[in-house]
Amino acid sequence: MTVVFQIPELETDRLRLRAPHLDDWPVMCEFFASDRAKFVGGPMTAEQTWRGLATETGHWALRGFGRWALEEKATGKFIGNCGLWEPDGFPEMELGWDLMAGATGKGYATEAGAAARAHAYNALGRTTVISMIAPGNDGSKAVATRLGAAFEKMFSHVTFGDVEIWRHPTPEALK
Amino acid sequence: MTTFEIPTVETENFRLRAPQISDPDAYTVFGASYRSAGVGGPFTEAQSFQRLAALIGHWGLRGFGRWMVADKDTNEPLGVVGLIYPSDWPETEIAWTVFEKAEGKGVAYECALAARKYGYDVLGLKTLISCTMEGNTWSEVLAQRMGATRDADFAHPDYGTMRVWRHLPPEACK
Repeated sequence: MTVVFQIPELETDRLRLRAPHLDDWPVMCEFFASDRAKFVGGPMTAEQTWRGLATETGHWALRGFGRWALEEKATGKFIGNCGLWEPDGFPEMELGWDLMAGATGKGYATEAGAAARAHAYNALGRTTVISMIAPGNDGSKAVATRLGAAFEKMFSHVTFGDVEIWRHPTPEALK
Repeated sequence: MTTFEIPTVETENFRLRAPQISDPDAYTVFGASYRSAGVGGPFTEAQSFQRLAALIGHWGLRGFGRWMVADKDTNEPLGVVGLIYPSDWPETEIAWTVFEKAEGKGVAYECALAARKYGYDVLGLKTLISCTMEGNTWSEVLAQRMGATRDADFAHPDYGTMRVWRHLPPEACK
């Protein structure tokens, strides 16, 4: 057997950041079929969501980092995805987050985002991270603001169209 | 920490190995070419990256998937062959893709036989299919050369009608 790739596990106060599973798929289907997914490339069919989940898993192998599934420690429930994303066509490493239905309003995206950003700075040695946010996505902008990020410029993505680039504080600024 | 493993399988002439970060170029060239029409292409560079990531991620979700077929001496990628079962597929399929510069070397036939053997002997599957889109005569000839026979068509929501080829059962492959 050839070892191909590993996905580390991170923990925050209330969340476990772990490798995506096929078990997460039904919950993701619900989210990606909903209106809330319109800012993150949705709505998507169940099949597109399956391929998206496979892509999220395989991104780890190609880049050495990627997006985690978020599990609520208290319940063991899958509640969202968060992590570092840099597929072909992205200008630089992006920190992103999606919360499934019922998981918003609890500060989970901010909590997971801070842990993923710390992984980029401490484990991967990166010195800067952006978030790409659709212009109307006020919920994500509020999370970015809470994480200390600020609007920098617009970026035209081949699939998503015009998105806002928010720049996160540097590792030094977070010390 | 979760560890994902992709086994290496050797055939007489080729190595079926995990895709590597150095492979996307070959996959992107294939995706952008007319040769990807039989699998839903052509694809942009960004789409090819996502498709390669999904190809690897399939191993994580299902525990099996497709390999990058490589030249045993140079490790150069020659094509993609293996077993796929995404959510919208009727059952597990033996799938093959050969890159242009590797044409005519018998990559698909030899590696598809290895994938069939892996599906039966290692995974314990009882049956396997291959799907072709209309016009993909090359793949249909290959399926028949492997002993597969036409089964009922399958209507895919995006790709349209797919022809289903039923492979020989495990007993017939001993």
